[in-house]
Amino acid sequence: MSETSIALALEAAEARLRSILQTVPDAMIIIDEQGRIESLSTTAERLFGYEADEACGRNVSLLMPSPYREQHDAYIGRYLETGERRIIGIGRIVVGQRKDGTTFPMHLTVGELRTGDRHHFTGFIRDLTDQQLTEDRLKELQSEVTHMSRFTALGEMASTLAHEINQPLTAISNYLKGSRRLLERMEGEKVEMLRDAVSKAADQALRAGQIIRRLREFVARGESERRIESLPKLIEDASTLALVGAREHGILVTFRLDPAADLVLADRIQIQQVLVNLMRNAIEVMSEGGAVRRLDIATSAEPDDQIEVTVADTGAGLAPEVAKQLFQPFVTTKRKGMGLGLSICRTIVEAHGGKIWVDSPAEGGTIFHFTLRAAADDRETEDA
Amino acid sequence: MSKAPHVILLVDDDAAVRNALKFSLEMEGFSVRLFATPEALLAENDLPAGGCLVIDYRMPEIDGLELVERLRSRGVTLPILLISGRVTRSLLARASSLGISDVLEKPLSDLAGSIRRVLDAGP
Repeated sequence: MSETSIALALEAAEARLRSILQTVPDAMIIIDEQGRIESLSTTAERLFGYEADEACGRNVSLLMPSPYREQHDAYIGRYLETGERRIIGIGRIVVGQRKDGTTFPMHLTVGELRTGDRHHFTGFIRDLTDQQLTEDRLKELQSEVTHMSRFTALGEMASTLAHEINQPLTAISNYLKGSRRLLERMEGEKVEMLRDAVSKAADQALRAGQIIRRLREFVARGESERRIESLPKLIEDASTLALVGAREHGILVTFRLDPAADLVLADRIQIQQVLVNLMRNAIEVMSEGGAVRRLDIATSAEPDDQIEVTVADTGAGLAPEVAKQLFQPFVTTKRKGMGLGLSICRTIVEAHGGKIWVDSPAEGGTIFHFTLRAAADDRETEDA
Repeated sequence: MSKAPHVILLVDDDAAVRNALKFSLEMEGFSVRLFATPEALLAENDLPAGGCLVIDYRMPEIDGLELVERLRSRGVTLPILLISGRVTRSLLARASSLGISDVLEKPLSDLAGSIRRVLDAGP
């Protein structure tokens, strides 16, 4: 080929690529092996809010929130070094970040392209914010959590019932016990009968206590399965589910994850349920009003192998009398709902040996805190 | 046991439970002082040198374990019994790490017996 015809062929190829990028319905991004954006489709420009010439040449980590933003270069580096595929050809649900800082769930498939000895990666992105798509993609995760939620609601009812009924039973059996002691010091034919009756009544109070205990054990059976889990991964999965619709309500979501707060000993589904619950509550509260709408999820490693997770919103905040008994069952600030959500969160967190509490900062909003126990780091690194 | 009745300090947020336990323990020969909240106990400066504490685990605001932690950090060495509507393994583990003498599940058929065992064992 002559130089002119090579140039012409190149130009034609580029025109073809441009036309593909302009018309492909999916968001598509091509990056080089340093992670720099080479080109992006019109849909991708719209999705992330960047113009092509503004994004090209910048690191693709621009389009993801922390902590993925900081880790992305290492993901590519590891792949180039080991050839081990964690996302290429597989596809995963991840979190994207738009130019305005908001985040959204997206499905990402990555393909690889080699020209000579250089690698390029093409990412195809489907925005899962769209309700229909989201429902399809997240149905599995959702049904798992919903099932668990119903199951735990039942367990929570039994546990609440047990607690509430145990209190009067404690009073009954101890009044009877005291009465029996008193009767032992008295004499007379009728006293003997009374003593007998009081003893039998006390036995029945204890029997009621045993029935309650058996009910609770029955519901609690096989409830919890604890493994070593990556906390950032748990948060990622939970937020994918919880943050659906956050953008429609103009809510800015930020993650501040402490790299030292990594592995925890936890029942994945249960802790995700706590996270989803807290995040959905925050979104619900903020969608009711307020100029600043920010949801902040943070983790920190604390002394004594404790890891603290906080979910903070800029909603209307809590009235002090509500805050006091917020984790009690059947306390609710919502028109709908049974008031079991936070009580379930408390049950789950306490069953994990942690604590859950709420703060009302002076500047407004609400901060929920809970703790988990850190697990020793004896496992290989997770997922890219 | 000494001649003077042992003083039992009892903290439970449920009035019926509090009063019933006072009644049954007094019938067993103990002297009982009641506290409706952890704060009320923490506000008490004049704690007896003998006897023991009976503390409910599940209370709003400050739970039983947290109360024990605060008492220990103030140098209170009285033996402590924790009572709870539900005793789980994790509760037992946390209680024993705080040096709690016994953990009892409601409805408490023999609190007096447990208290005697704890007092006999000494602090």
